[in-house]
Amino acid sequence: MTELIRFDQVSYRYPGGQDVLGDVSFSIAQGEMVYVTGPSGAGKSTLLRLIAALCRAQRGQIVVMGQNLSVLKPRRVPAFRQHIGLVFQNFNLLADRTVFDNVALPLVVRGYAYADIARRTRAALDALGLLRYEKSLPLTLSGGEQQRVGIARAIVTKPALILADEPTGNLDPKMAMDVMRGFARFNEAGVTVMIATHAIDLIEAVPKRIIHLERGHISDRLPTAASRLGETHGVR
Amino acid sequence: MAFAEAGLERPGFFARFAQEHLRVFFFSLGKLRQTPVAAALTALVIGIALALPAALYVLTRNVETVGYSWRESLQISLFLKDSVSAERGAALAHEIGARQDVAKTQYISRDQSLTDFKAQSGFGDALGILDENPLPAVIAVTPARSVGKAGVQELDAELGRLPEVDIAKLDQKWLERLYALLDIARRAVGMIAVLLGLAVMVVIGNTVRLDIEARRDEIEVMKLIGAPDSFIRRPFLYAGFWHGLFGGILAWLLVTIGVHALSGPAATLAASYGSDFRLSGLPAADGFSLIAAGIVLGWAAAYVTVGRRLALIEPR
Repeated sequence: MTELIRFDQVSYRYPGGQDVLGDVSFSIAQGEMVYVTGPSGAGKSTLLRLIAALCRAQRGQIVVMGQNLSVLKPRRVPAFRQHIGLVFQNFNLLADRTVFDNVALPLVVRGYAYADIARRTRAALDALGLLRYEKSLPLTLSGGEQQRVGIARAIVTKPALILADEPTGNLDPKMAMDVMRGFARFNEAGVTVMIATHAIDLIEAVPKRIIHLERGHISDRLPTAASRLGETHGVR
Repeated sequence: MAFAEAGLERPGFFARFAQEHLRVFFFSLGKLRQTPVAAALTALVIGIALALPAALYVLTRNVETVGYSWRESLQISLFLKDSVSAERGAALAHEIGARQDVAKTQYISRDQSLTDFKAQSGFGDALGILDENPLPAVIAVTPARSVGKAGVQELDAELGRLPEVDIAKLDQKWLERLYALLDIARRAVGMIAVLLGLAVMVVIGNTVRLDIEARRDEIEVMKLIGAPDSFIRRPFLYAGFWHGLFGGILAWLLVTIGVHALSGPAATLAASYGSDFRLSGLPAADGFSLIAAGIVLGWAAAYVTVGRRLALIEPR
């Protein structure tokens, strides 16, 4: 399978702070779905941020979609990021724009024709059961619905890679399960999905490969529930 | 990198450019409409700042016009020698009048001078006791309009060297002082315009800076989804454009209102000096230049501010 992401002995330290990741190496193939697990402060979010070029590793090499991020020029970062769908725990929606406008934003940024933007946006909203809210403002929706708007925005460009940082952190169990199954559906459609989470019960419900982090290093010692999955779906 | 863009059409560069600018044009206007009071106050501050140099400019233009009308009354008086006969004097006036740098001449004979002096001075009886007419014959020379200050001085010197001429007198000191004052006023207008232009940039820059801070979260989201700086910057540049446009229009309006308010008293004052002078406002071309200046200042201020602030905002 084609390699989509490769980490070679990557280390990252906060400016003036402590080490967050140390000598992390792994590879993710195109079409995989991977959970990044670990306790708070293990470096899950930082790992996703490095992949999205939101920060730059001090050591090691990161290659994403054939692009070596160590040598990626700052002015090329936006164009690179346009091809990644990002989902966040706090949704990151624009409160003064309608659901439709929020979801359409990545397409507007890329300069598509308005007719195509409208069609593609409504298709994304429809896929997530949000079409009836297209004219609503995000804050009038529930947490689960807002997260689905965030996911619709992430998938509307049909990215090759979706990165989700604790996407179920603010959701109740049922909504969290719906969201996780949604990611699995996108993955089945061929999209590579990487989810940082510590929700082991959800991982158990939708079992996939796991990268487990402990204090910035990849670890084989999975939490009890996840260890069973690790045996069947692979760790690292 | 292979990306799924099936079914999506990307218009050509110019179509995309027009689509995006049209979108931001109305989007930024809509943003201003959301805060009408703040937008109006900003426009008012900019309007007043632009109106001040514009009003001074209008003032200097009007004073210049008055100066030019007075310029027409500028004359060179050629006092002829006593030995020059009345016939020769009249002929000389005719010769001088034929020159290209002279608009007209008037010969005033010695007798005519005496008659005029008696009538205007009230010393008629005193002059009567003199044995002979002490006043010389004079040729009043009006230079052509096209002749500049230096040309008039040259003409004065040249005519003064004529053998029939005793003294050539050109009294233009007052005019020189007026032109010097106008020159100072013009430079002052330029300096004030530069200073107030900078003030306009500071006002717009600060407004845009506050707008950027208020929309910090939005900018972070934009960066997260891969919006380039040019895309993020554009609405703020248009905000600067709108502030400058409205400020410029308001400045023109303020100057026009000011001229209208002063035109009545100015006409009355001019009439008392026997002049039909009318105060003129900002010509349309200058008015549009004022608006253009507002737009350029607004755009430039926004560009500088956004450029500096955007670099400081990174997604958390």
